[in-house]
Amino acid sequence: MIINIMGGDWQEITQSIIIGLIFSFLVAKLISMVISIKDANLKVTREQEDEDDDVKPNQESTSLPEVKEEEEIIESDEKKKKSADTTTRVVSESDEDDYDDWEGVESTELDEIFSAATAFVATAAADRLSQKVSNDVQLELYGLYKIATEGPCTSPQPSAIKMTARAKWNAWQKLGAMPPEDAMEKYITIVSEIYPAWISGSSVKKHGGVKEGNDSKRSMGPVFSSFAYEEESDNELKMEAIHTSAREGELDNLVKHIESGVSVNLKDSEGRSPLHWAVDRGHLDIVELLLSKNADVNAQDNEGQTPLHYAATCDREAIAEILVKQNADTDVKDNDGSSASDLCESNWSWLRK
Amino acid sequence: MAENNSTVESNGDGENLEISSEIGNSSNSNVVVNENDAAAIEAITRKVQDTLTVGGKKHKFWETQPVGQFKDLGDTSLPEGPIELPTPVSEVKQEPYNLPSLYEWTTCDIDSEETCAEVYSLLTNNYVEDDENMFRFNYSKEFLRWALRPPGYFKSWHIGVRVKVSKKLVAFITGIPAKIRVGDVVVTKAEINFLCVHKKLRSKRLAPVMIKEVTRRVHLENIWQAAYTAGVVLPTPIATCQYWHRSLNPKKLIDVGFSRLGARMTMSRTIKLYKLPESTVTPGFRKMELRDVPAVTRLLREYLSQFIVAPYFNEDDVEHWLLPTENVVDSYLVESPETHEITDFVSFYTLPSSILGNQNHSILKAAYSYYNVSTKTPLLQLMNDALIVAKQRDYDVFNALDIMHNESFLKELKFGPGDGQLHYYLYNYRVKHALKPSELGLVLL
Repeated sequence: MIINIMGGDWQEITQSIIIGLIFSFLVAKLISMVISIKDANLKVTREQEDEDDDVKPNQESTSLPEVKEEEEIIESDEKKKKSADTTTRVVSESDEDDYDDWEGVESTELDEIFSAATAFVATAAADRLSQKVSNDVQLELYGLYKIATEGPCTSPQPSAIKMTARAKWNAWQKLGAMPPEDAMEKYITIVSEIYPAWISGSSVKKHGGVKEGNDSKRSMGPVFSSFAYEEESDNELKMEAIHTSAREGELDNLVKHIESGVSVNLKDSEGRSPLHWAVDRGHLDIVELLLSKNADVNAQDNEGQTPLHYAATCDREAIAEILVKQNADTDVKDNDGSSASDLCESNWSWLRK
Repeated sequence: MAENNSTVESNGDGENLEISSEIGNSSNSNVVVNENDAAAIEAITRKVQDTLTVGGKKHKFWETQPVGQFKDLGDTSLPEGPIELPTPVSEVKQEPYNLPSLYEWTTCDIDSEETCAEVYSLLTNNYVEDDENMFRFNYSKEFLRWALRPPGYFKSWHIGVRVKVSKKLVAFITGIPAKIRVGDVVVTKAEINFLCVHKKLRSKRLAPVMIKEVTRRVHLENIWQAAYTAGVVLPTPIATCQYWHRSLNPKKLIDVGFSRLGARMTMSRTIKLYKLPESTVTPGFRKMELRDVPAVTRLLREYLSQFIVAPYFNEDDVEHWLLPTENVVDSYLVESPETHEITDFVSFYTLPSSILGNQNHSILKAAYSYYNVSTKTPLLQLMNDALIVAKQRDYDVFNALDIMHNESFLKELKFGPGDGQLHYYLYNYRVKHALKPSELGLVLL
């Protein structure tokens, strides 16, 4: 009896222990799965970080004309070897000589389009309204992306429990040693199939046309700044069309004004003649024209300055010489008592008699 | 730029990959505006929202880094100080990060004339340009040696990337150690600078791995914080500063497009406006010499102590950073003619830029205001003398940030605002409130 009862109990106890073990194993497994899924998420997030362009260094606008590239001061490796001892100087040389060095290394058009495509996928994917892309396609894109950016898969196979990671790993692994260029092309093809309109999308404008002007400021490191505003304008100033033409160097317009009877010595509200403006902006042809039309070479503005004062201040030697040849008076003093030669920082010996 | 504002993540059951947007998170962040820094926070928030709405841009990389996050802006419950605790150096990843297979890491020995020339060439042709691609920084080789070899520097922090086959140098990033005080605490940090990737390698995504690699090498020296600047808003600036420019050679600046002449303004009047006296006006104003190092160190320590973030210089640092070096750094001081006491100090560094595509000029010679100390001579007068010296030495323009007490002289000395803003960042250090530029006492090259 006792043994029997005991025996029955044993069976029950053993049974419940086994069931309990199995159950707790399953629970543990479940927990580890949940955790591993989270892990996988984190991993994906980290992998995606690499794509972020926040941290890209100063990268160049492709709008730079080709000519500029050729003017670039790049020392070629070859040159360097020849003159290793005298490398203190930089040899101006066309980068194109280095062509072989760059083959397979420089960013190609394919790189650009691929980059645009990945950016597009990221933006499109962020748009909740965009059509859902099947899991298989996403995995395929993932695999191609990894091949294109990192090459063949060399990382160890993730455990079978980490289903997401495993699926991705498989997608990468099965592409084997596919060349990155093929992967990029395939990627672009798939994206183009899913979103036929992507190439005209916004991200392409950025990459095709490419980069906006402010790209250089989107980088870590120092900033090149220049003046935000123009040199203050004198808003009270009233000037006529003939002054504007002289200032802008518009020869034809200037001739028209003179022919239509506008005085060649017309003054603006600061007392400046067209000749003052032409000298100020350095338009030699306009200066000659005005002088040939008998413009007053010694006209003084409201501060008592002649065109020669302007030429001296602005260091315009060729123009100053013409003015002097046309009998500009070198002794005229402005309201501060300065002659043209007082204002001249360069050494114009011909001006200081 | 690419906007990678999404994460690939799995949904609940782990079966399906779903791509979801997280744009909401940052734009909805609560911003508590305090009276003091209301303006600063507003400005930053506006920028954050701008980037989010215009570019839909998120900062995936920086969100995973120990830096102040946008979502924490104005959250006063978070402590000021390091974000992550140091780990034992032995636990730092020992191997370099992987580069794409065509490239390899190299340590750039800047002492080697040949390597220095390669770095110079890479930077001169590929480093920072202005918005319109009219100018590109042209740091001289002497400048690079000065900037990269301060006392206690690590050669291993001068990191290059070469093409495996040709050995051509195609990318560069550097760190230097610097003792920087934030509040009351002086900690050795890394100053990260000169991140540059060759133009032909854009869209190869080398930059993130370079930043990670320099961070790893900094950690290997048991240093856990860093300071850096950027022209772009990243999470999260500790201060946002403005560049100002003072024309010294207005005609050349206008000719090359650095500044523009208003239609109703004459060149003649502009030149007159910026004219400077022939010689300096402060009695006892002279060039700094080696024998001045102790006095200058004392002067600077005392002066810089009033700013919230500032370098903590010892005499070796002062000798390195401030003793004049031809065409790199210039320092002048005021020695009282009566007591021979050193009372004031002014310095600037020389950073030329290549002028791209101008027939008449190829180099823009710019002086950048560095560290200035005024105790007896008014700062305005001191800076005016600095301008006069720079003009004598043929600089085209004198640049200054609105940091320290600079704002007090900018307008009066005819500086005009620039189109460039410079944001300052600390890595692995959170500040509770953004600093006003005037609370910042740090200049990064």
